[in-house]
Amino acid sequence: MNIDSAMQTFFAEAADLLDAMEAALLRLEDNNQDRETLNELFRAVHTIKGSAGIFGLDDIVSFTHRVENLLDMARDGKLVLESNLLSLLLPCRDHIAQLVDNAQHQRENDAECLAQGQSLLQSLSPWLPAEQKPKTKSGTKASNAVEQIAEQDAWHISVRLGPDLLRNGMDPISIIRFLGTMGTVTHITTIADHLPEFAEFDPESLYLGFEISLKTNVSQEDIEDAFMFVREEADIKIIPPRSDIQAYVNLIKSLPENPQRLGEILVKSHAITYQELEAALEVQKQQAVAQKPVHKLGNILVDNHVVAPEIIEAAVDKQKAIQERKNTPENRFIRVDADRLDKLINLIGELVINRQRIDLLVSSLAHPALAEAVTSMGSFTEQIRDAALTLRMVPIGDTFQKFKRVVRDTAKSLGKEIELVIEGAETELDRSMVEKLNDPLMHIVRNAMDHGIESVNVRRERNKPDAGRLKLAAQHDAGNIVIVISDDGGGLDTARIRKKAIANGLIDETSQLTQQELFQLIFHPGFSTAEQVTNLSGRGVGMDVVRRNIEELQGGVDIDSELGVGTSFTIRLPLTLAIIDGFHVAASGVDFIIPQNTILECVDLQSLNHIQGQHCVNLRGDQVPYIRLRDIFNLPVSQAEREKIVVVQFGEKRAGIVVDDLHGEIQTVVKPMGPIFQALKGIGGSSLLGTGAVALILDVQQLINFAIAREHTRNSVLSGNLQENDK
Amino acid sequence: MNQPAKSKKQVATSHKKQYLTFRIAHEHYGLELSQTREIIEYSGITEVPLMPSFLRGVINLRGEVVPVIDLAVRLGRKSIQVQRRTCIIVVEIQNNEQNHVLGLLADAVSEVIEIEEENIEDAPSFGAQIRADFIQGIAKQGEEFVVLLDANSALSIRELAHLVEAQLQ
Repeated sequence: MNIDSAMQTFFAEAADLLDAMEAALLRLEDNNQDRETLNELFRAVHTIKGSAGIFGLDDIVSFTHRVENLLDMARDGKLVLESNLLSLLLPCRDHIAQLVDNAQHQRENDAECLAQGQSLLQSLSPWLPAEQKPKTKSGTKASNAVEQIAEQDAWHISVRLGPDLLRNGMDPISIIRFLGTMGTVTHITTIADHLPEFAEFDPESLYLGFEISLKTNVSQEDIEDAFMFVREEADIKIIPPRSDIQAYVNLIKSLPENPQRLGEILVKSHAITYQELEAALEVQKQQAVAQKPVHKLGNILVDNHVVAPEIIEAAVDKQKAIQERKNTPENRFIRVDADRLDKLINLIGELVINRQRIDLLVSSLAHPALAEAVTSMGSFTEQIRDAALTLRMVPIGDTFQKFKRVVRDTAKSLGKEIELVIEGAETELDRSMVEKLNDPLMHIVRNAMDHGIESVNVRRERNKPDAGRLKLAAQHDAGNIVIVISDDGGGLDTARIRKKAIANGLIDETSQLTQQELFQLIFHPGFSTAEQVTNLSGRGVGMDVVRRNIEELQGGVDIDSELGVGTSFTIRLPLTLAIIDGFHVAASGVDFIIPQNTILECVDLQSLNHIQGQHCVNLRGDQVPYIRLRDIFNLPVSQAEREKIVVVQFGEKRAGIVVDDLHGEIQTVVKPMGPIFQALKGIGGSSLLGTGAVALILDVQQLINFAIAREHTRNSVLSGNLQENDK
Repeated sequence: MNQPAKSKKQVATSHKKQYLTFRIAHEHYGLELSQTREIIEYSGITEVPLMPSFLRGVINLRGEVVPVIDLAVRLGRKSIQVQRRTCIIVVEIQNNEQNHVLGLLADAVSEVIEIEEENIEDAPSFGAQIRADFIQGIAKQGEEFVVLLDANSALSIRELAHLVEAQLQ
């Protein structure tokens, strides 16, 4: 591991910890007695400080140190984190984020930034006891508590670092210095035994080892953390204070250097006494000679009254606790570069295509055994595909969580009380979609707070609770993810939307629109750009951008609103954009794929009753409008004898797509069509068939909207002609 | 004193460029070899509905879906009739710092030629019946004139996308 990748690990980790810190602070605002959250908060700050220390990021260390002191007091119950203090800690978290960001982009912390840190610490100072003030991160000055520990209570740390450490940009001195911040380094012996002959000496290689005695109150894990970024190449042995002699004996045996010399070092650093060492070695030697099973040295030492048995017991318990902590879920994650995952998923996409080609070839061979083998391989391919896609799935909760802070801050600045409710945080979706979802969500949430939820006075007049309620909910629904953003605010005023749309020339006075159609008008590009008239306009990007962003993700957005009661936006998205289950159809000889998750059923068109004069069929009593792919795409007239209707559903809408042939289910890898085809509505991408031919993937939502829009223009042309005739 | 003259001559000789020449109807065209990727046989093109006539469809190029342009239509000529020697020249075009792969339909591919820069003449300001910005220059090969195309302009992704948008409206 070199310094860059170690640093990158630190920055990624710090970002997570800062998120955790923010979440913990916000949770504490609701319940400041929650010990678990308090611990989590402390751990986050503590870890940032520790890691920053290793990289010599002194500004971060000195700032977080003070914050950590304060949190430590809170943890010990000496201090209650009142809401005004929590309000101070949030900007402290932002300041740490700023410092980390500066470090990441190798910017100096300018005077303004440092002054800001100082003023934050100043504002925290009433809570910090005066005696804590002079305490700095100096390693040589030990606190009183540390000094009281008896000499033999020191930890012994044996360090053999990798030869490439210096080349990788790490410096052992900074690690030792960092150990100094945890307590007092009482002895260091530098092991220079491995220095080569001068002629072979490489100045960039590290040949040194260290035997360190450290007096401290911190846990073994904290000490281990000091070596976090070097331990891959290094051999680190940490012996807790009061450890039995055996540990030292084992240490001596495991190290490559001369045992006699190591023994002397240990004795010199007061880890053990000479007599203890002699005695322990002697006892073990005798037992080995007698061919008896070797007693545990702990027992030997207890027999010799060197160490009290309870200490050993405690040590064993402690080891167990550490072991258990390592098995908790947080340690079961590994970080993987997103690009590598994308590459894997692309390759699996190719595998899926190839599998289909093999299927085709096998079906022409009439070889049952081969067919069976290929079928079973096919089912594994499907499982691999599904497993690979889940690798890229992330819970949407992380995205929702970010809104807690946004809602809190925005509510404060608007002088409103708004409570954010999150549901379905564990719902997962593709990572690549999460990023693109941020902006539209942010826009809808801001709008809801700004224009949806009323001020406290208005809410009281309307007999609503003072605090407005904003809900972010997510759930899976038949291969889609459905995200609902709802508020209990004033709702959309359709009369005002209508008036504005007429003023902007989107509709005319005589237009008859359903409530849904009126709601959908707010997504029109011409709607939100004008002066602020309705309760849903303003603020940079318009709602048209929201809809466009969501449509780019092959999704759709619906609005439901009741005046005076509230508004809810329902966003529906596919779970992933990479590989989909499709249904292969053809019209006029052109291959199309309809996403499986939109299909309700396929029926013979001729078998259904048509509604007179309209593109509409009667399907078990329901009227279902339909479009012919041939018509909508201007394809040549085909010779199909029996047309089929594929009934699809998207959101609340139901429609039929009339095609010539049904070819069946197919797994498809979505290939983007490229920028040239950007303007083509109704086709969301392309995909390769087993034959190698290209099929076009229908975007059902867009296709239906496109058909509706076309009908509208046709009708308005017609009605325009009629009006002409009237004159 | 000889030095500058000599180096100038060197520059002149090193300014040779290789072009892939091809035929559309009875006219000869050339594209800089560095912009072309490969030449493939014409087969299995998938038409994309509602597209303007210069966009013949898409092909599967080893797993990549690539649009195919009818260069004749783009140059204001009659659309190419597919024949035995019809082929697709695969080119790479830069747009927004991204490489885009396009297929170009041609009646036949001729050869790779090397042309010295001084033998390339500017495009005539009129009379070529091709948009002036599509032409990089004209070179004489024996009795024939070869129109050297400026691929980045004749196949500008942005312009093609605009034309598609216009067609759909």
